[in-house]
Amino acid sequence: MWQKSPNHRALSEDEEKKALENAPSLRFRFILAGVLVIGIIAGLAINLIFDYSQKLADLSYDRLLRSALLQMDENVGLMRNEVSIDIPWSAFATLAQAEEDRVFYKVESLEQGFITGYQDLDSQPPQPPVLDQIQFYNQEYSGEMVRFAWVQRHITDPETAQTVRIILGQTRLSREEMASAVTQKAVEVVVFIALVAITLIIIGSHLVLRPLHRIERALEERAMGDLTPIDINTPKETHHLKVAINHFMERLQSNLEQLENYTADAAHQLRTPLASLRALAENARDNTSPERQHQALENIVKQCDTLSQTVTLLLNQAVVSHRLQTHRLEPIDLLAPITASCREQAVAALHQGVLLSLDCDLKETMILGDAFSIQQMMQNLIENAVRYSRADVERGTEIIVQVSEFERFYRIKVIDYGVGIPDIEKERVFERFYRGRYDIAGSGVGLAMVKDIVDHHSARIQILDTEPKGTTFQVDFAKLRFNEDTV
Amino acid sequence: MKQVFFWLAVVVSLNTTKLWATEPVWFGNENAQRILIINSAMDLASFEPILKKFVELHPDVRVAYRDVNTLELYYLTIKEQKKPEASLVISSAMDLHLKLVNDGYAQTYQSSFTDRLPSNFKWRNQLFAFSLEPIVMLVNKKAFPGDLPEDRQSLLQTIRQNEKAMTKRIGTYDIRQSGVGYLLASQDARQADVTWGRLLEAFGSHDVQTYCCTHDIIDDVASGKLVLGYNLLGSYASQRAQEDDRLKMILPKDYTLMLMRAALIPKGAPNVEDAGIFLDFLLSDQAQKMMQTQGLLFPIQPDMNNPNDPYVVNAPGPTGIIELDQQLLVGRDYAKQKRFIRNWEMALEISEED
Repeated sequence: MWQKSPNHRALSEDEEKKALENAPSLRFRFILAGVLVIGIIAGLAINLIFDYSQKLADLSYDRLLRSALLQMDENVGLMRNEVSIDIPWSAFATLAQAEEDRVFYKVESLEQGFITGYQDLDSQPPQPPVLDQIQFYNQEYSGEMVRFAWVQRHITDPETAQTVRIILGQTRLSREEMASAVTQKAVEVVVFIALVAITLIIIGSHLVLRPLHRIERALEERAMGDLTPIDINTPKETHHLKVAINHFMERLQSNLEQLENYTADAAHQLRTPLASLRALAENARDNTSPERQHQALENIVKQCDTLSQTVTLLLNQAVVSHRLQTHRLEPIDLLAPITASCREQAVAALHQGVLLSLDCDLKETMILGDAFSIQQMMQNLIENAVRYSRADVERGTEIIVQVSEFERFYRIKVIDYGVGIPDIEKERVFERFYRGRYDIAGSGVGLAMVKDIVDHHSARIQILDTEPKGTTFQVDFAKLRFNEDTV
Repeated sequence: MKQVFFWLAVVVSLNTTKLWATEPVWFGNENAQRILIINSAMDLASFEPILKKFVELHPDVRVAYRDVNTLELYYLTIKEQKKPEASLVISSAMDLHLKLVNDGYAQTYQSSFTDRLPSNFKWRNQLFAFSLEPIVMLVNKKAFPGDLPEDRQSLLQTIRQNEKAMTKRIGTYDIRQSGVGYLLASQDARQADVTWGRLLEAFGSHDVQTYCCTHDIIDDVASGKLVLGYNLLGSYASQRAQEDDRLKMILPKDYTLMLMRAALIPKGAPNVEDAGIFLDFLLSDQAQKMMQTQGLLFPIQPDMNNPNDPYVVNAPGPTGIIELDQQLLVGRDYAKQKRFIRNWEMALEISEED
C-alpha cells in the first residue's frame, strides 16, 4: 500500500498563491548571498581605496613639499654670525603646483629665535626631533588642516654654530582633490564590476533554474492519466531529478496497476459468492419440499458467512494497511497478539475438526511492532493452515503455533500437516489474489497481507515443508534491544 | 627686526590717520537702501565711469568709494579683520592681496562670472583679477636728453651719458611707502637681477626722486621737473600720455612686466551680496569693454579687433606676467623684504630716518 496525505484536497488559487509567496525562493537566496558577498568585497575594496588614495595624494604632494623645503634649506646661511635665509622663488613655484593651497612657513634658530615666516606657527614636531630628518605631519593652522614638513639642522662656520629649524606647510585642498579623484574613479570601477557581477548572478541563477522550470512545465502540461517518463533534454545537474521523477512515476504506475487489479479482483471476489447466493436463493424459492427448502436456506446462511468473512478480510486488510501507514511501531510483547489470535481461532478451528495448539514457554518477548497487525497476521496464517488441513492423513487435523527464542530474534512457526505447497508455488503464494487451489475457499489476499505486515516490521518470512507432509510458515521478528548500541 | 616693526607701525599709524581724514566719494541715489563700501588703491579717474555705470544699473545700491594707498590698504584690511567696513577691497599690489588671502582674511565667492575667469586670474575663488596692464616708463619728450630709451639698457646708457641732465630728474616709487612699488621692484630684481642692480646703482648716484603715488610722478614728468618716470602703472600713464603731447609711454623692450589689479571680499564683510554683484559687474563683458573703449584700464581679454588701440598691450619685447600665485609670498617674506628694502635704501643713499 502507499502513503497518502491525511486530508487530501486541491488547493484553491488563493491558497496556492499564498503558499508560493511563503515558500522560500532558491533564486532569491542565491542572489541575496551573491549580492551580500559582492557587497562586502566591494565595501572592503572601497575602504582600501579610500586609505590608499589618501596615502597616494600625500605621497605625491609630500614630494613637492620636501622639494620646496630642501630649496629653502639650501638657502639658509650665516651672515656676520647671524642666520639668514633668502627664500628662492622656485621653492614657492614648486608649491604653487598645488594651485589653490595656502602656504605657511617659519624659519627659526634655537639660538637666535624667530627669523622669518609666520611667528605664531608651532615649531614643535610631533615626533622627537632628529637632525636632518624631514618629518611630515598634519596640524591645524589658520582654521584649516595643514600638511607640514619639518627639518632641523646644524649650521656652522669657524666662529659660530647654530641649529636652524624650518617648518613649511601647505593646506590639503589639492591632496583631498587628488584623493577624491582617485577614489571616485576607483569606486566607479568597483561599482561597475559589482553591478556586472550581480547581473551575471541574476542571469546565471535564471539559467541554472531554467531546466527545473522546464521539468515543472513538462509535468504541469501532462494529461491527467499520463504516467510515461519525462522525455526532455536536461543538463547533468538535473538529470538525477528527472530520473527520480521517472522512477517515481514508474512506481506510481505499478501501484495504480495493483490497485486496479485489486479493485477488479475484489469485485470479482464479491461477485462469485453473490451469484452463488442468488442461485441458492432461487433454488430455495423454487423448491416446494420444506426439507429441501430448509437445506437451501441453510446453504444461503453458510454462503452469507463466507461472504461476510471475505468482506471482513478485505476490511481488515484496509485497517491493517491504514495502521501500518499511520501508527508508529512501538515496543510490544509479541506473545500477546499471538495468544489472542490463537484463542480466537481455536474455537473456529475446532468447528472444522482442527486442533490448534500454542507451544511456547517464553515469559517475555519484546519486539518493536504493531500488535493489531501481528494479530491479523497470525489470524491469516492460522486460517490459511486450517483451510488446507485434511482429515485423511495422520495428524492432518493438527496445527501447532510455536514461538522460540534465538540470540537476535524470536521465531514464530505455524505448522500444519495438510496438503502442503509445491515448491513452484511457494514463490507465488504471497502475490495478491493468487490462489493455490480454487477448490478450497479463500480470498487470495490473506497471505499478501501477511507479507505486507512482515515487510513493514522488517521481519523475515519463510515457507518450509512440514515432515512428513504439510506446510510450515516461519516468521522471524528481531528482538527489541535496549540501548545495546550505546553499551 | 624690531626697528622694522616700529617703522611699519609708524607708517600705518600715520597713514591711517590720514586715511580717516579722507572722506569717501559717494555714487548713486542718496536714498538707496543698500550701501556698498569699496576700499581701493586705484585712481578715481580710471574708475569713476565704471562706478557710475554700476549705480545706474543698480539704482538701489549706493557706493562709497575710498581711495587708499596699496600698503595702507593691506594694513587697514588686517586692522579691520574683526569688523570690516569695506565689502570689497581692490588693489594693484597683487602680492599683498595674495598674502591677505593666504593668511585667511578673505572669503570665498563664486558666480558664473568668476567661473568664467581663467584660473590664472583668480586664486582659491577668493582673489579675482579684473585687469592686466603693462608696467611702463613715461618720458617727457622735450626734456629728455638724447634718444628716447627703448629698454633698461638704453636708459642706463642715457643716464651715464647725460649725468647732469638726469640727476634728480628720474622718479620712481618709494618702495617703503607703496605696496605696488615694492612689488614692481622685487619683480624687477627677480626678472633681471644684474640689470636691476645697475639700475639701482645709477638711480642712487643720480639722486632718484621717490614718490608714494603714480599720479605725482606723472605730474612731475609732465611739468618737466622729471624727465622720466620708471615702473609706472600702464593704465594711468597711458591715460595721461593720450591727453598730453609732452608725454610718451614706453614699454621696455627687454621685458615688460604685466600687473593684475585684483579684488577680494574680506572675511566678515558687510553686504557681501552687493560686493559679489559689483565683482560680477567688473568681470562682465560690459565693464571689460568699457575699460578698453573709454581708456580706463587694460581689460583681461581685450578686444583684439583694433590693434592700434593703446589699451591692447603691444609690447615690443617679452612680457613677464606677474603670476597670481603662492610665489608672490616669497617677495613679501619678512627677511627678504627687510634685506631688499635695506639694499634699496643703501643704493639710493636714503637713511631710515628719511
